Amino acid sequence: MIFNAKILSQSSFGLTGLWGLSSKASVPFYNYETNTSNFSILNDWGISLTYGAEFSESINSNIYSISLSKTLSDHNLSGRFSPGYQKQFLFSTGEVIVINDTTTQSLNADYTYKELFGLGYSYKFTPQLSAGFTFRFFNQDFNREIVKPVFGDTLYLVRENLNEQINYWKGDLGINFFLNDNFSFSAASINLLNIAEQTENPEFEGYELKYETEALLAGSYTPVEFINLHLMYETSGSFQVSAAGFAAQFVYGLTAFHDKYQSPYFAGIVPAIGYKSKLFEIFLSGVKYFSDRKAEQNFSQFEDEGIHNIINNPYSYDKILLSLSFNIDGSTEQKVKLIDVELVEDIYPTFYDAYVDNPIAYGLAVNLTDEKLTIKPSLKIKDVNEAVIQSPEINIAPFDTVRIPFYIIIPDNYSAGKPVLSYADFYISVTSDETDDQLQKPMLVNGINAWDGKVSNLRYFIKRDVDFSMNYSKKLLSDNKQMLDTLPSALAPFYKAKILFDDFVKRLVYTSDPRATEEYVQFPKQTIDLKGGDCDDLSVCYSSLLESVGIQTALVDYKSNGTFRHVNILFNTGLTPGQASYITNNDTKYFVRKNSSGDDEIWLPVETTSLTNFATGWKIGVEKFNKEAISDLGIATGKVEIIEVY
Amino acid sequence: MKLLLIILIVTSVLTAQTYEAIKVKGEVKYQTDSGEKWLGLKQGDILNSNSVVTSGADAQVQIKTENIIFSLKELSAISLSNIKQLSRDELLLALAMEDMLNVPKKNENTALSTAVYGSKEDGINPLFIKSDNFGIKRLNGAVQLAESGMEESAILAAKETYRKYPDVKSIPAIRIFFADLLSKKGLYEEALKEFLEIQTLNLTVEQKAEVDSTTDELKKKLMNN
Repeated sequence: MIFNAKILSQSSFGLTGLWGLSSKASVPFYNYETNTSNFSILNDWGISLTYGAEFSESINSNIYSISLSKTLSDHNLSGRFSPGYQKQFLFSTGEVIVINDTTTQSLNADYTYKELFGLGYSYKFTPQLSAGFTFRFFNQDFNREIVKPVFGDTLYLVRENLNEQINYWKGDLGINFFLNDNFSFSAASINLLNIAEQTENPEFEGYELKYETEALLAGSYTPVEFINLHLMYETSGSFQVSAAGFAAQFVYGLTAFHDKYQSPYFAGIVPAIGYKSKLFEIFLSGVKYFSDRKAEQNFSQFEDEGIHNIINNPYSYDKILLSLSFNIDGSTEQKVKLIDVELVEDIYPTFYDAYVDNPIAYGLAVNLTDEKLTIKPSLKIKDVNEAVIQSPEINIAPFDTVRIPFYIIIPDNYSAGKPVLSYADFYISVTSDETDDQLQKPMLVNGINAWDGKVSNLRYFIKRDVDFSMNYSKKLLSDNKQMLDTLPSALAPFYKAKILFDDFVKRLVYTSDPRATEEYVQFPKQTIDLKGGDCDDLSVCYSSLLESVGIQTALVDYKSNGTFRHVNILFNTGLTPGQASYITNNDTKYFVRKNSSGDDEIWLPVETTSLTNFATGWKIGVEKFNKEAISDLGIATGKVEIIEVY
Repeated sequence: MKLLLIILIVTSVLTAQTYEAIKVKGEVKYQTDSGEKWLGLKQGDILNSNSVVTSGADAQVQIKTENIIFSLKELSAISLSNIKQLSRDELLLALAMEDMLNVPKKNENTALSTAVYGSKEDGINPLFIKSDNFGIKRLNGAVQLAESGMEESAILAAKETYRKYPDVKSIPAIRIFFADLLSKKGLYEEALKEFLEIQTLNLTVEQKAEVDSTTDELKKKLMNN
C-alpha cells in the first residue's frame, strides 16, 4: 500500500515566535526554524533550555530543547538537542483480526517523527553582513502490526510488529544583512541539502518525511528604538508577521502565522514575553491555534494532507513553553563606541619623529555607560606596523563624547619607496585588553622619499641618513686631519664646514627635482650617489654632513617668491662675536644668534646650490639672507623662516 | 631666452637702490658684495646696498641715495642698507625679529662685559667716541643716522652693533641715547628692558639718577597702559 502523504520535516515556525535579528533577546536565535543562518548576538558562551507542555487530551510536558552556542571572534558555533521536537501518530491500520469468531482485535500503527539534534555555524563578514548554515538530524520510527500466516500442520495467523527506523539529515543556508539602523533582511533555504535513507518495507512507503526545496525571505523594520516589526515569507505561500517591543530589560512580542496547510487563514498566534539580564534570560511563550485541536481526526485526512512541520501541523496542540538561557560572557561588555575617525593627512614614513607629537588621526568616541571611563586608543597600519601602537589614555565622562588623538610609530626599517594604499585599524578599549570597538580606514602611506612641501619637515631627511653622513664626513675630515690639527680649536667647525662644502661641490651638480615634483626629497646618500639634486636635496645633504660632525645647522625657508620657494642653510661656527674677525673682515657676512643657553654665537648662511666653492656659497647665502631675511624684514613678516634641525 | 635673461638682469640692475659718494674728505673706505678687502672710496663712486663704508680720523663722506643725503663723520662706519627711513611699524617688526633670529632659549644670560673702549673727550659730544674699534665706529654711525632723522634705522643699526660687538654695550651714554629713542618712539617695553640692563652698568651719579628716573617713568607708563 503506497500513500502519498505530504510530510515535510520543517518550515520556518519557531516556538518563541518571529523576532528578526533584534539584539534585545538571545533565546529566539536558538530556534533553527526561524534562524537558519545560525545568527547570534552572543559574545561568548550561551546555553539555553526550553521546557514545554502541550495541551492535548491530557497535558504532556517535556524538555523541548537544550542548546549550546559559542562565539569566537566573528565565528559562531551552536548545537541543539531537541527531545521535544517530535510528533507521534497512533492509528488503526483498518485491519481486524477475529478471535474465537466473536472477538475482534484491530491492528495498530505507530509512526513517530523526531528531530533529534542539529548543528549550526555562522560567520560575521562585517557588522552588517553575516551568513551561516544549519544541519539537522531527524529520525522516523515506523511501527505497524501485521498478521502473518504460519504454515504448519494447520494454518496459523500470527500478529507481528513490523518496525523500521529511517534517518534523515537536512542542511540549509542563510544570510543576514543590516541595511541601516532601521532595516534588516534575511534569506534562507528550506530543505536545500537532504540526505535520507530509503524505506525497506513497502508498508511504510509514502510516510517518510518529504523535503521539497523552498526558500524564505524575511525583513525587519525598526520605526522607533523600542519596537520592531517583522515579516517572514516562504515561497510555499506561508508567512508570519510579528511585532516586538522592548521596555527596559523586558521584551514582548506577538507573532501571527498563516500556514498554507492549516486553517483558518491565520492559523494561530505565538505570544511571548521575556526578561533579560546581563547573565540570563527567561522567556515565556505559547502557541495558540484558532481551530479546534481536540476534535477527532481521521486517518484518511492524515493520508491525504500529510503534515508540513513536526511541531506545527493540523494535529499540533496548543503549547506553552518556558525558556531559560544563560549568557556566560567571558568577553568585555562594550562600554565605548568609536563613531568615526578623521585622518589628519597621509603618512610620510620619513617624518617618524613628527608622529611622536602629532596625531595622524582623531577618533570620535562615546561612553555608553553611566560611569567615568578611561579609554585606551590604539592603532595599527597594515604593511607598516607589526604590532598595535598604543596612544595616550583619554578620560571620558558618563554618556559623553570625546575626540581621541591616535598616534603612530613608523619603524626605523620601513623602506618602501613607492606609495602604498593601506588600511589603518583604529581600536578603543576600556579596562581590559579586549577591544570595545574598532574602525578601519584606508590610508595612503607614501614612499620614504615623499615630502609634504613643508621645509620644517626636511629635518627628518637630514636625520635619517646620519650614519652614512657621519662615515662620509669623518673619512673626508680625516684626510684633512693634518690641516685641522694645526688650527685653534675654536676655528675647527668653520674649517670643517668649508672642507665638507668644497668636497661636496666637486662631486655634485645642481639639478631640478629628479621626479619633476616638489614632493620628492633625496636622502644624503642618494644625493651623493646620484651626484646631484635640487635645493632641498643639497641643503638636506650638506646639513646632514655638518650635523654628523657636531656642527649645528638650521634650514632657511625663503617663501618670498610666491610659487618659487627656496631652501638653503645656516650653520653655527661656534665662534663668539668677538672671534668673528678670525674668519672674516666683513661684519655683514655673519649673523649673531643666541644659543639655547643665551650665549651669542656666529652663524653663517650658505647657498648649497652654488656649487662652486665655499667662499662663493657663503657670499651668495649672505647676500640673500641679508636682503630677504633682514633688510626686507622677511623673518618678521614670515616670508623667511629659520628652522632648527635639532 | 637669452634676451629675456638680459632684460631681467638689466631691469634688476636699474631698479636696485644705489648710493653715490657725493663728497669725500680724508680716508674713507668701503667693502662691498661681501668682500673681505677695504677699498678706498672716491667722490662719485656708486655703491650698492651690500656695502659698508667706514671713515678714518678727520675724514668725512656724504652719501646720496634717492632723496636722502647722509653725512658720515670721522671714525664712523655704516652699512648703506641702513640709510633709509623706516616706519614705526617696520621698526617694531625688526625688533621682534631679534628674538626670531635666536635659537630657542633655555635660560637668559644677562652678564655684561664692563670693558670700555675708546676715550670720551669731555666737553665734546658725549655720543661720539674717538676709537678705531670697528664696533664703536658702527655705534658712531648709528648715532649719526639718528641725528639725520633716521631714528628707526639708527635703533636697528645700534642693536645690530650690540649683537656683533657685545663689548660696546658697556658704553652707558650711547645706550641711554638709544634707550631714550625707543621711549620716544613709544616702545616703552623695549625701552624699559634697555634701561634695566643699563642700570647694571658702571654709571656716573648723573647717569644713574637719569636712568632710575626714566625707568620709574616707563614702569608707570606701562602700568597705566
